[in-house]
Amino acid sequence: MNSPSASVALAAHLAVLSSISFGGFPSVLPDVHNLVAANGWVTDREFANYFAVSQVMPGPNMILMMSFIGLKVGGMPGAIASALATFGPPCVIYFIAYRLWDRFRDMPWQRIVRRGLAPLTIGLVIAGGYVMARAGDVGWQSAVVTSGAVALMLRTRVNPLWILSAGGALGGLGFL
Amino acid sequence: MSETVKARSSNEQVTLGALFIGFLKVSLCGFGGGLVWARRVVVEQQQWMDEQEFAETLTLCQFMPGPNIVGITVCAGSKLRGPIGAISAVAGFIVIPWTVGLSLGGLYLRYAHIAVLQNILGGLSAAAAGLMIATGIRLLMPHRGRRTALLFAALAFTGMVFVKLPLLVVLLGLAPLSIAGAGIESARAR
Repeated sequence: MNSPSASVALAAHLAVLSSISFGGFPSVLPDVHNLVAANGWVTDREFANYFAVSQVMPGPNMILMMSFIGLKVGGMPGAIASALATFGPPCVIYFIAYRLWDRFRDMPWQRIVRRGLAPLTIGLVIAGGYVMARAGDVGWQSAVVTSGAVALMLRTRVNPLWILSAGGALGGLGFL
Repeated sequence: MSETVKARSSNEQVTLGALFIGFLKVSLCGFGGGLVWARRVVVEQQQWMDEQEFAETLTLCQFMPGPNIVGITVCAGSKLRGPIGAISAVAGFIVIPWTVGLSLGGLYLRYAHIAVLQNILGGLSAAAAGLMIATGIRLLMPHRGRRTALLFAALAFTGMVFVKLPLLVVLLGLAPLSIAGAGIESARAR
């Protein structure tokens, strides 16, 4: 692809998304997926691959995933622009918010706003997981792995890394 | 206890290097659950914040857009050393892990067309999607008794997944209604 204007468009879009990513970056995954699919920048398979690789790396996974998209769209400058757009705006917002925090403390409206926003961000996080499951989907076996991961995560205290490894192993052995 | 912790952070100047290293550690250890390590480093090991302050900061961060752990990084850095402290802490959290991740991940992705590697990625991706869904379900549990909360979670999900609306539209459209719902709820509870 390697088009500078595509990199700029991607970074600008990510900057807006990261500024409204209540509930963390997973909540904006469906929107990013719609964007890259509509522009033909990244295939579904690649999108799922970026997600998988960034999830097994330590550190800031979502920043990494957006950087892989940026790398595909515009090479190294694209990767750096995407990373900056993903964490820059929230950092500025956090910094200002922390300064103002004392003024807002204990305001009753704050609790109401939080209770109002929470369900939306939760719905968006689940949507993020659902979209990723669909993007990587190759059949009922994948759906079983996804459901199994949900169940293990909710029912047991297994380290998530083992669940990821098990998924990778099942895939590597050709079960999916 | 909290007195001594506070005294420590205001009297001793925490170095920028210590902030960088501290959050580098949070980042590298934070497989799966970064929050666990953020608390360990910030509260237990370095005593940069006490337990109460950490919990309050986390609430603030959850209320704001962006990755929560990055938020804690910014707040801790800013509290200890102002803007330059925030920059050092964020740099520690991001620069090295990002470089390593992009190189190793990029290398892996270059060979992703090889069937075995593609199959492994497919399995990983399916499992990771499941972990994300489970995290959402966990977050939803405290709200399961609130019918309005379940309704708005379902609406947000539907708007994104089936109607494929842009996130901004979903948030701007639903947030006022959802907040109004929460307001009515708390007024009734009183």
